[in-house]
Amino acid sequence: MVVGELAHERDVVIIGGGPGGYNAAIRAAQLGLSVTLIEKAELGGVCLNKGCIPSKVFAHAAQKMAELPHIKEIGIELGHASFQLGKLQNYKTKVVTQLRQGVEALCKANRIEVICGKASFLAEDRIGVESGEVFDVYRFRHAIIATGASYVSPPSINIDHERILNAYSIYGLETLPSHLLVYGDDYIAIEVAMSFKMFGSQVSVITNDGTFGLDEAVAKELQRIWKKRKIKLYQHCKVESVTSSPDAVAATLKTATGETVTVEGSHIFVACEAKANVDGLGIDRLGIQRTEQGFIEINYQAQTSLPHIFAVGDVTGGPMLAVKAIKQGKVAAETIAGKQSEIDLTFLPTIVHSIPPIAGVGLTEDEAKAQYEDIRVGSFPVAGNGYAGIIGQKDGLVKIISDAKNDVILGVHMIGVGAVELISSGIIGLEMAAREEDMKFPFYPHPSSNESLLEAVESLQAEAIHLSPAMQKGSKKKAVSR
Amino acid sequence: MEVKLHDIGEGMTEAVVLSYFVKKGDYVKADQPLVEVQTDKMVAEIPAPAAGIIQDILVPEGETISVGTTILTLEAKSPPLVETMSNQPNVTAESVHLFAVKKEETVCAKRMIERRVLASPYTRKIAREHGVDLEQVVGTGRGGRITDEDVYRFIETNNAKQTNHSSVAGGGTESQSFEKADDNAPSFSVIPFRGRRKQIAKKMAQSLYTIPHCTHFEEADVTELIRFREELKQQNFHISATAFFIKALSLALKQFPIFNARLDEEREVIHLKQEHHIGIAVDTEEGLIVPVIKHVESKSLREIHEEAKRLTKKAQENKLTLQEMTGSTFTVSNVGPLGGSIGATPIINYPEVALMAFHKTKKRPVVMENDEIAVRSMMNISMSFDHRVADGATAVAFTNYFVRLIENPKLMLMELI
Repeated sequence: MVVGELAHERDVVIIGGGPGGYNAAIRAAQLGLSVTLIEKAELGGVCLNKGCIPSKVFAHAAQKMAELPHIKEIGIELGHASFQLGKLQNYKTKVVTQLRQGVEALCKANRIEVICGKASFLAEDRIGVESGEVFDVYRFRHAIIATGASYVSPPSINIDHERILNAYSIYGLETLPSHLLVYGDDYIAIEVAMSFKMFGSQVSVITNDGTFGLDEAVAKELQRIWKKRKIKLYQHCKVESVTSSPDAVAATLKTATGETVTVEGSHIFVACEAKANVDGLGIDRLGIQRTEQGFIEINYQAQTSLPHIFAVGDVTGGPMLAVKAIKQGKVAAETIAGKQSEIDLTFLPTIVHSIPPIAGVGLTEDEAKAQYEDIRVGSFPVAGNGYAGIIGQKDGLVKIISDAKNDVILGVHMIGVGAVELISSGIIGLEMAAREEDMKFPFYPHPSSNESLLEAVESLQAEAIHLSPAMQKGSKKKAVSR
Repeated sequence: MEVKLHDIGEGMTEAVVLSYFVKKGDYVKADQPLVEVQTDKMVAEIPAPAAGIIQDILVPEGETISVGTTILTLEAKSPPLVETMSNQPNVTAESVHLFAVKKEETVCAKRMIERRVLASPYTRKIAREHGVDLEQVVGTGRGGRITDEDVYRFIETNNAKQTNHSSVAGGGTESQSFEKADDNAPSFSVIPFRGRRKQIAKKMAQSLYTIPHCTHFEEADVTELIRFREELKQQNFHISATAFFIKALSLALKQFPIFNARLDEEREVIHLKQEHHIGIAVDTEEGLIVPVIKHVESKSLREIHEEAKRLTKKAQENKLTLQEMTGSTFTVSNVGPLGGSIGATPIINYPEVALMAFHKTKKRPVVMENDEIAVRSMMNISMSFDHRVADGATAVAFTNYFVRLIENPKLMLMELI
């Protein structure tokens, strides 16, 4: 630090303009704090520019492709349908740009100073920002680290972004793979497999466990759908190595029985581990504690081991989900403003924009069994829902788990049309500590996908109307004579 | 690993298991309180000797066990998550890093769900804003759900404790006291809030929050009783006034068993107790303690007197056994000998139905039946009763009956069996 150096004074300096960072910035501004947001690339971060949004543009297009046979069925003739990936890329760019401009406008409207540059901590209360030739110093009362995480290639696989792709480069493809190999155990692998299958690629999925972290019944239904869609599944397999030639890739797998199998394709997508973006940030100098894996440790208020420095989003590890980063960002800003705020990930939902979509919150059946003495499980097939019949999307099921002792709902899991929207009812129910009656009593719009949730709740006690008695495991009621 | 009842000191030999803070399968941290036990001296919490998972709970709540008995078993395990960061303002002591990457996720998810308290986000926010740890709050809603009221009640209880604290400190609110402490200029001394004091606090709060108290006052002319005791003295019988009160009380309870009862709200019944186990509130250096004279209904005045004397002495020497301080069905507090006090609103010894306090006996001018004014020895009585169980009229009839026996002690002869 040069003597006499001028430092800008700020209440809050935020490093990183992804969902965690910009939500923190806007909330802090709303609460009357002066905020500077430093972003080295583009506002919106990975989520908006490379992750959630691009992948959902693909999933959206894939859903439309999936509906084509039905569109014909209801009398709409479109002639020969074809898919052009290049056009979708243009559309993606348009959507991403629009959304990013939206974020920029919001930051401006909230009088947030956005600086393009690379930030690093100089001291516990100072951040230096390098922007081209200029180096500015900011003195802050509070800082929020929202620098995110980056994918690292598995040791045995070299991601070349040509034919061997990760979650960013797969959505940058300009030509459709003829045979896409998908290797992974997470929701991204499911979305990639489904989207490209619908676009017309041949798809083979290689996975370690095959449940993708989903409830078992949901995973089973997903596998059934894949089979129907002719997606080949290599379960309990580990990719040992990948070789690529100018026009093909070959993955060598080791199966559960120890056999070695080689699978060939045109491209391979590899789900990667993430690593915290902390290099060059100077946090080790400050002694901010990190986990063994290198993520920044935080508490329920998103505070790091230095109470005036916060960290939110992927840089803190755990599930790499924007929904979590958004909440953490708000909590960090609120805590800085002196509010009593808290992060509680108990009912963090998992969603997958696959065809059909998947969503879950709370305990899976296996987890509930392990933690509760006596549970009830209700399940309703989407095929039994009238509206699903109308729109011709009858795959899937809704499953609900409750504590048999006190009727408290423990988990809601679903695969099927509308799952991503419908899960909100489950999330609110769980947060409100709802019991079966609380979920059963309200009206559910008719006809709609919502009714699948109602019937799943009803089936906990063998009360679902559109499900035969033999299909309802719920505890049988004794007949009451009056 | 077996968690045993250890000798917590002062020569205890046994204890009653009051309540468990954990259940089978719970993960506990080292030193986390597992179970609350009551010894003859105090209520103590037994902490976890190490971090681990509760395997089995061997002793049911309410059971008396001797030192050395295994209470529960614990499977020692290292904590599922790294604990971090202490000494932070504005942060709970449990600053835990919440998330771990992939492999730890399942553990993480379980840990999070264990944190689940049955309370809506709104209620949770109230708790946060008041710094209340919801895991400490007992939910009274159906299925153990914590309501806004439960949180407010918890806050009030805590405030009551804090008020005690600051009155010791010589005024000022808790936060102010702490601010001063930060300036390295402590202006108050600290009294540990543990043991009997804490137990008293807990019982009083429980009683007052549960029972709608109603207290009514009465006076008794004890001139005849004093005279009668003098007569007995000449016959070499020294019987304390307390013994007479207890005997008269027992006779009154026979007529009005509703005051020797216990309300079971859950089952919607009132249990009338046959036996009259009378607790006597005794002031000791460490605070209030209540030894119990069992089966007063079948004891003579002399027996009651002897037993009261013996128990009071033991109480003051801190030598009461557990049996001698539990099981009362009605409690009396004789504050007369302490001087002062002409009336009080005593707190009922929960779950009993009523409590009677006897105040200082004073010579006062009294208008007698023949309209003459005479000097008489008068004693005030305060009786608190549970208005859920009995009404004012019954309570008045009860004290009338009692006062009649005290004013005409020889009437008690009529009750000789």
